[in-house]
Amino acid sequence: MSAHTHNDHGHAHADAGHDHGGGLQMGHHHVSSAAMFFNVLAILLVLTIVTVAVSRFDFGGANMLIAMGIASVKASLVIAIFMHMKWDTAINKIVFLSSFLFLSLLFIFTLADQATRRVDHEMHTTRTPVDKQWVHPSTLEKH
Amino acid sequence: MSHDGHHSIVIPAPGPEFVPHTVAHHFDSPVQEFQSMKLGFWLFLATEILLFGGLFAAYFYFHEAFPETFRVGGAQLDWRLGAVNTTVLLVSSWTMAMGVRCAQTSQKQKTLMFCALTLVGAVAFMVIKFFEYKAKNDHGLVVFSELFSGYNEATGQLAWFKDYDGVMANVPHGHMFFAIYLTMTAIHGLHVVIGAGLIIWIMKGTAKGRFHAGYYLPVDLVGLYWHLVDLIWIFLFPLLYLVP
Amino acid sequence: MSTNVPVIDAHPTISEPPKNYLNCSRGFMSWAGTLDHKRIGIMYLIGVSAAFLAGGVFALLVRLHLWEPHGMLFTNETYNQIFTLHGAFMVFIFVIPAIPGSLGNMVLPLMLGAKDVALPRLNLLSFYLWCGGTLLATLAIVLGGFDTGWTFYAPYSLYTDQAVVSIGLGIFLLGFSSIFTGLNFIVTTHKLRAPGLTWFRMPLFVWAIYATAILQVLATPVLGITVLLVAFERLYNIGIFDPRLGGDPVLFEHFFWFYSHPAVYIMVLPAFGIISELVTVHSRKPLFGYKLMAFSALAIAIISFLVWGHHMFTSGQSTFAMFAFSFLTFFVAIPTAIKEFSWVATIWKGSIALNSPMLYTLAFLIIFAIGGLTGVILGALNVDLHLHDTYFVVAHFHYVMMGSIALAFFAGLHHWWPKMFGIMYDETLAKIACALIFIGFNATFIPQFIMGSQGMPRRYATYVPEFEGYHHASTIGAVILGSGVALMVYYLLASLLIRKPAMQNQWGGVTLDWLTPTPPPLENFATPPSVTTEVYDYSTLDYESLRTPVR
Repeated sequence: MSAHTHNDHGHAHADAGHDHGGGLQMGHHHVSSAAMFFNVLAILLVLTIVTVAVSRFDFGGANMLIAMGIASVKASLVIAIFMHMKWDTAINKIVFLSSFLFLSLLFIFTLADQATRRVDHEMHTTRTPVDKQWVHPSTLEKH
Repeated sequence: MSHDGHHSIVIPAPGPEFVPHTVAHHFDSPVQEFQSMKLGFWLFLATEILLFGGLFAAYFYFHEAFPETFRVGGAQLDWRLGAVNTTVLLVSSWTMAMGVRCAQTSQKQKTLMFCALTLVGAVAFMVIKFFEYKAKNDHGLVVFSELFSGYNEATGQLAWFKDYDGVMANVPHGHMFFAIYLTMTAIHGLHVVIGAGLIIWIMKGTAKGRFHAGYYLPVDLVGLYWHLVDLIWIFLFPLLYLVP
Repeated sequence: MSTNVPVIDAHPTISEPPKNYLNCSRGFMSWAGTLDHKRIGIMYLIGVSAAFLAGGVFALLVRLHLWEPHGMLFTNETYNQIFTLHGAFMVFIFVIPAIPGSLGNMVLPLMLGAKDVALPRLNLLSFYLWCGGTLLATLAIVLGGFDTGWTFYAPYSLYTDQAVVSIGLGIFLLGFSSIFTGLNFIVTTHKLRAPGLTWFRMPLFVWAIYATAILQVLATPVLGITVLLVAFERLYNIGIFDPRLGGDPVLFEHFFWFYSHPAVYIMVLPAFGIISELVTVHSRKPLFGYKLMAFSALAIAIISFLVWGHHMFTSGQSTFAMFAFSFLTFFVAIPTAIKEFSWVATIWKGSIALNSPMLYTLAFLIIFAIGGLTGVILGALNVDLHLHDTYFVVAHFHYVMMGSIALAFFAGLHHWWPKMFGIMYDETLAKIACALIFIGFNATFIPQFIMGSQGMPRRYATYVPEFEGYHHASTIGAVILGSGVALMVYYLLASLLIRKPAMQNQWGGVTLDWLTPTPPPLENFATPPSVTTEVYDYSTLDYESLRTPVR
């Protein structure tokens, strides 16, 4: 029973799509305007020039942040518009964006380990004079 | 198997130059097929992000460890060629997006044209890449003929890193930047080549009229793949050519 | 319906057995080229079982060698290769693909009321990638073997003159096999559920496989790039893992464990799923804390990404990282404990049937409690510094990987065997085998806990004479364990020849996998099912199906 209802529904859906000149069969999808695509390309090219331009100046520790910030804006545009993510289903958004989230875990823990190894090193150097004076408890008892 | 309830679902072709699409037997509707394939492909793209992510993590790790090596190494790359290649990929990403759009609206000739333009972009990218690699080879920064000749324990020399001009003489582990540069761009280049192959494949399908407003899924998925290739390059360009 | 009238007699077509996925087509290509998830599941089952037996033989060789303090059978180099083969085969070729590949493929679409997985071609590709990976791993044995341990730690894996590239590429393929399986299951779960089968009506096995699939998709690519980088190191000396070239071996360990810790949950979550199904079916009682169980599977999956550094407490990572990783590790214990308690609470006051799947389940519950709690001990930073790389660790992860996961796999196999083939095995032999495996397993690994706490290091071909008694006990236990497994293989294979018919619904399950004919027809359901009741509602159980034999 339910088989028929289901398949008939699917069929009716396809037929309806045909009546409307095609396009609706695959569910909601979005045909973006050509003008928007062109505008996005223009912005991406301008941002490429900006990337090169800011690399001529030295902002110290902020260099990496600025470069990655601009790249992220460009990437977001490609993902949202060229890849149609703006109009995609919630689950597809979650899937793709979660890959960046989990990747950031790899970055955060690995780089945190590297950064804090330096702290370890500094702690050991400052401790050295103290260590030299340190006496094992067993030798204290003998005195 | 012939169950009464199992007639296949066919999406009709929008015109005589197109071919109808039959929905795979285990799907109940075209919507289900489309959404399943699309979710599957986004998941695949997520794995690509994490695969490249390992390389990016390595980049940041050693950029932090040897900042001077990366600064001097990055200066050996020609940022102009990098910028040209960035532009090539961005434009090709645009032509791909337009190609998908034309497939969505059943414009067969335009789909073919935009796919062909994207393919031109892919070839241009690889040609420019070839000349970049050749320059590195000529300066002894990556000697391709001795790439697999190994490391000499006694002299501490790496066969593929000769540095004829001595540009990396004053920085520690000068080969490190070029090893990462080579690995990242080579794996990215491999994706460009695979993407080009996929574009040829969908051009064949388009020519046969398989893709139209009723069924443009493969064009859409190859488009996503191509944009991912562009996406990765957007980060590679500043990191490798304009080392921050 | 009257319970006295056998349904069989009412059918006029008694002479001819109904078409199912096993007898619908014949010939080699109907299997090798099949897109049917059930046949792919069977092929996986054969493959992973062969890998398990191979890995088991390697394990027995290791145990026999250790009978004498100076080693009984091999040179030290050969011993290193044998334990590496044992580890690599068991982890990458058996445990990781075992449950999702065989039982997951077989049961997940049935439980969802789907005709197949969402991407059947990808499913077959994933099986052949598994074959390719296994082939490369086997080729590596021919090419001179590999002795790095299954962990491939740099820098040794970069310097050793053995077939690391071959096994590395093998693992790359196995990784993508695993990714594609997970990807397929995520899409199937999202898009192919029967009408009415809401997320919180899905059986917990589906939840567990779904959580596993998230890990397979998000963690495995990092393993892929890691083994590629090791291969590149060996081919053209990138240097990022090579300390001679300014590289950092600890970075390798970060990359490796970013995958391989979640991989522990890729292995164990499907086992949790099987146990969740079995405790409810064989106690005929709804699962205690269903939603909490579903969320705890997801919680384990997410938390598993935050704790990988606890494998690296002696590697030279920073004090801060060790502290953070140790601290975060304890959080895994919370959802895991929720699971253990829920299983026990499900059995409590249930109508318990002590058949062989349930016996394996009970054995799992005991062994996993020990395996889990010793994990908490090892997660404590200061304790781990003492126990790291000792037999204590070996015993701990065998309690999880062999004692829990393999036992859950056996439990699931016994549970779904009548569903898969429509036949029953010898229950008495099954119970004896279960007892042998349980006793043999504990006899093997309890001495290893003791030895480990006293400092017996893992992976050594020789040991000091003080440990000889423990090693004898462990080896005897391994032989008992091995004989139990051999008995299991015997009666399962024998059941295929004896063909004692099973019942349509052998155990009285109420999830969709038990509501289709046994064995299932090619497209799983004669009419696409729809779900109207909550999950594990045993008031809907059709007792007729428990007494109707398979024709």
